[in-house]
Amino acid sequence: MTSEAKTHAIDISSMQRDSRTLDLNEETLALEVKDLKLSYGDNEALHGIDMVIPKNRVTAFIGPSGCGKSTLLRCFNRMNDLVDGCNITGEILMDNSNIYDRSVDIAELRRRVGMVFQKPNPFPKSIYENVAYGLRIQGVTKKRVIDETVEWALKSAALWDEVKDRLHESALGMSGGQQQRLVIARTIAVKPEVLLLDEPASALDPISTLKIEELIHELKNDFTIVIVTHNMQQAARVSDYTAFMYMGDLIEFGVTDTLFTNPDKKQTEDYITGRYG
Amino acid sequence: MELNNDNYSAHISAQFNEELELIRTQLLTMGGMVERQVHDCVDALLNGDIELAEASQKVDKQTNEMELMIDEQCTTIIARRQPAASDLRLIIAVSKATTNLERMGDEASRICRHAIDLVEEGESPRGYQEVRHIGHLIQEMVKDVLTAFARNDTELAYRVAKMDKSVDQEYSSAMRSLATYMMEDPRSISSVMNVIWVLRSLERIGDHARAMAEHLIYLVSGTDVRHSSLKQIKKTVAEEK
Repeated sequence: MTSEAKTHAIDISSMQRDSRTLDLNEETLALEVKDLKLSYGDNEALHGIDMVIPKNRVTAFIGPSGCGKSTLLRCFNRMNDLVDGCNITGEILMDNSNIYDRSVDIAELRRRVGMVFQKPNPFPKSIYENVAYGLRIQGVTKKRVIDETVEWALKSAALWDEVKDRLHESALGMSGGQQQRLVIARTIAVKPEVLLLDEPASALDPISTLKIEELIHELKNDFTIVIVTHNMQQAARVSDYTAFMYMGDLIEFGVTDTLFTNPDKKQTEDYITGRYG
Repeated sequence: MELNNDNYSAHISAQFNEELELIRTQLLTMGGMVERQVHDCVDALLNGDIELAEASQKVDKQTNEMELMIDEQCTTIIARRQPAASDLRLIIAVSKATTNLERMGDEASRICRHAIDLVEEGESPRGYQEVRHIGHLIQEMVKDVLTAFARNDTELAYRVAKMDKSVDQEYSSAMRSLATYMMEDPRSISSVMNVIWVLRSLERIGDHARAMAEHLIYLVSGTDVRHSSLKQIKKTVAEEK
């Protein structure tokens, strides 16, 4: 008998938690931000951001109000184009092409990069029509295809069981938490690659918030998710990677476990421990 | 509130469930390793099996690694999830129990070292009867405290605490007889001293098992029963039922 067999040695490395093995250098990238500067008139809000958004992961942006996290998020599907006096330099690469190129079709970009806002904003239509809306815009007319996609999107958004018997009732009769999950279903129905969430749970009660967070965790298998949140604990709970921003600069970006247990920068430590911000 | 194992799988966040379940599983795996170490060190000593003693010492390195891994996970869960109530108690209890297990492993490793020394001295000293007896009690305690953790069984944890008292009594009486041997035959002092260290280590393993039992009672009932008498522990367990 060998001594190994005698003492029942086990393979400890197999017992590690998955997220311990995360490494930014080994990720496939969904988006790549290169020296991105953004100013509103004379006021520069982002001072040259360089970062990557890994594919099929949840990346959270945290930082005090006015640090530029929502502004950066809105750059990913060119929502800032709508703001007067907004000037952007630098690049955001998606599949190696710059989304700020003149040739880019913005409607197509926004299909590929969907967005969900702080306040649920369902259309004043039925639940079914809310989810089908994006498909109809795209010119999908086959009822079977639309039916299947609506069911898939509602199931993915963990809403199907709650609404399957009232698909044709108004979406405005749903609770806030349900409305937000409906909006997420509407966004994923057109099969985007990236999902941008801007404070998706800040208007919701704690239990609805946890449901949205669990949903985010489920959805990352199919989508790349970027979330902006004021709530640091939420970032800690849901994200794989966290970016801490302050006054228009990216201060620290790394694996969430590390950032919340042993951050590199003193500024990050001070913010996450509630010493300023 | 009654606490059972389903408690850890009822969060809205499935990931949180998995994380809590994982540290519990890892604690029990580490417990299994230490249980084996305790068994092997006594066996190695009684049978003069150097090979087994050396192999068991190697496992101690793994036990140490497990301690670091579990503690790091506990830290991460606290940082990421801000656990409350029974979840928080679970993490505190697991982290402390891990420390106890690691120390038990160290004691087992120490026993292996004495086992090797004794074989090399080539004498079968007196006191093996005591080692066999106390070793058996200690193995029971370790097994029971792990079962108690697996089942959240506070009654069983109380019995472990109670057994520790009998181990302490057995230990004192073994010390008295070994002192007598040494007085009768001063040439045996060196080898009997080795046996005394072994018994001391076994008794320490018992103390750690009792400490683990106390952590479990804290986890389940929320009452910290460290530094309490057996009577008080019994009362806490009865109230919890």
